[in-house]
Amino acid sequence: MDMRDSLMLSNLTLDNFDKSFKGSNSLVEERKNAFLNLKKIGIPNKRIENWKYMDLAKITKGIEFKPRGINFELLNKNLKGIVVRDFEYFIENKDQYSKLTKYLDNEGVVYLNLSYAQEASVIEIKESQSEPLLINISCNEDGVSFPRIKIDVFPNIEAEVHLFYDGGKGFINQLTEINIQKNSNLRVQRVNKSSAIHSETFLSYLGLNSNISLVNLSMPKNKSRFQVYNIFLDQHSCTDFKSVSIPYEDCQDDFLIQNLHMSSNCESNVGLRAILNKGTVCSFQALVDIDLNTSSSKAIQDCKAILLHEDASMNAKPEMKIFNDDVVCKHGTTIGCLDKEQLFYLQSRGLSPVSAEKILLQGVIKNYISEDSSLNNFLPKVYQ
Amino acid sequence: MNNFLNIQSLSAKVEDKLIINNLNLNVDKGEVHAIMGPNGSGKSTLSNVLAGKDGYEITSGIINFCGEDLMSLKPNERSNRGIFLAFQYPVEIPGVTNINFIKTALDSNRKHRGLDPLKPGDFLKLIKEKSKILGIPEDRLKRQLNVGFSGGEKKRNEALQLLMLDPSLAILDETDSGLDVDAFKIVADSINSRRNNDSSMLIITHYQRLLERIEPDFVHVFINGSIIESGGPELASEIESNGYERFTDVK
Ligand SMILES: Nc1ncnc2c1ncn2[C@@H]1O[C@H](COP(=O)(O)OP(=O)(O)OP(=O)(O)O)[C@@H](O)[C@H]1O
Ligand SMILES: [Mg+2]
Repeated sequence: MDMRDSLMLSNLTLDNFDKSFKGSNSLVEERKNAFLNLKKIGIPNKRIENWKYMDLAKITKGIEFKPRGINFELLNKNLKGIVVRDFEYFIENKDQYSKLTKYLDNEGVVYLNLSYAQEASVIEIKESQSEPLLINISCNEDGVSFPRIKIDVFPNIEAEVHLFYDGGKGFINQLTEINIQKNSNLRVQRVNKSSAIHSETFLSYLGLNSNISLVNLSMPKNKSRFQVYNIFLDQHSCTDFKSVSIPYEDCQDDFLIQNLHMSSNCESNVGLRAILNKGTVCSFQALVDIDLNTSSSKAIQDCKAILLHEDASMNAKPEMKIFNDDVVCKHGTTIGCLDKEQLFYLQSRGLSPVSAEKILLQGVIKNYISEDSSLNNFLPKVYQ
Repeated sequence: MNNFLNIQSLSAKVEDKLIINNLNLNVDKGEVHAIMGPNGSGKSTLSNVLAGKDGYEITSGIINFCGEDLMSLKPNERSNRGIFLAFQYPVEIPGVTNINFIKTALDSNRKHRGLDPLKPGDFLKLIKEKSKILGIPEDRLKRQLNVGFSGGEKKRNEALQLLMLDPSLAILDETDSGLDVDAFKIVADSINSRRNNDSSMLIITHYQRLLERIEPDFVHVFINGSIIESGGPELASEIESNGYERFTDVK
């Protein structure tokens, strides 16, 4: 660990921090272990992480590493079958948990959160929900903050969760863990309009015959990293992760989406649609990892980026680690400007260059965020 | 010289290759002109130049449309002034609904004429009526623009836009190619029924059978980027039986 890393860490460990390790509940135990690990590997940086694009160690330089409060808010009140409580291990089988650490061994960003998140909220969804759960997260002081949420979806449940991040300062290092028990189906909408440096690690554990689909509208006003690990704990489960990325000028939006097929008969689907303005950078690193003993897997990756400015860039890195022959995998990437033939077609019918461009960009987004999706309201007016 | 469409000594290059070569053509109001020429002679290039597509270098000549210099206008401005190109190869546009697109196009053209957007009810009535004429099922209107349409379905959709936008100058680039026998008749007849004293058509085709249904006032033989002979419908019959040999020999 280099000098600066240890400084940051000692800064964090000082005062309150050491005290917060006292006691012996499961959260404190987990934090202690995570902290030992973090000490070994250091503040997240390109050198040690699977991550190839955004070097958090570098960009958080200058931010005071002083933990501060987070506003976590479940906006709906008194929903039937919803319990919000403090953290305890919710995965009964610890072996399953350790299975996943294999993938996170060198992810400093996770250990950073695990060490420092002093509170963690658990939302239990025990009954199917007719309305979406609305969750807001914001941090309005400088410094670093470590939001941590766990969502536990009980068996045979249908539910929807909307996550909303807006504004904020400093560095937000978020950990979201979602456990979907057998025969359940969770839909997630995520809106990211964070103006802090935002990194979110999103872990989902899928039980037998379960399903998670996420539509993510990411419009960061700073640097944002969204890393997802979908872990298929049992058979016949599906993940579908669709992101629309429209970073603000000169901002960065990075995605690392890993689907870890460790059970047979599972299906994963990952897609990105990026619209990149002046000075923006977007990266899309998607991994499909199919275990030796896992058969009948299906995995699709698909990325499309439109560069609206010569000073915009897109890194696409599809990865497939396939150790079993019985798979169907597809991946496709297109990066480019708006299609001239399409623009001409629209203009030749009387649409101005501006509205032709607008209609094409709307077209890029529409397949992910339709007009009747509630996410449509969060899109910039021109794309609605 | 008329004051509708007037093309004089037009030459145009694509990537340093001369495609349109000193072309002259006059189209008056209410006239139907047919252009026939071998593959690669530059017919689609001419259509694109008229519709205002980028990427062509106009090395000489003028194009006048209703007293205005067409070259100074953008594609949408040309459309707003009444020029319509039915594409030889219509592009697919994912994420854009066919019917919404046609509404947007129609409203944009109406706006230019100082008209309010068509009321949704009236628009729906109109588009249903035109689709029915062309045998286009309603569910195709709700699909994404040309996406996954068969060759013939794309052509029918071009014809639908033609009927909806009702331009004063329609340029039809092989709208008949790719249509099955029945669709061919339906589309040809619906195009023919548009004939009136105020609108003109420039019909590019390889087949005389189209010109049997839409009898042109003039037929032009288009070789190597220019019109080398003009005449009446009999010229189309001659090409149908003898091909372009006589004309290429002249050249
Ligand atoms: N962008 C381009 N770059 C290079 N060559 C081009 C380009 N566009 C057209 N051409 C060439 O110009 C010539 C005329 O093409 P055009 O499409 O106008 O022919 P056409 O008469 O419409 O033929 P067809 O009957 O096959 O439709 C062809 O030789 C074509 O290859
Ligand atoms: Mg052609």
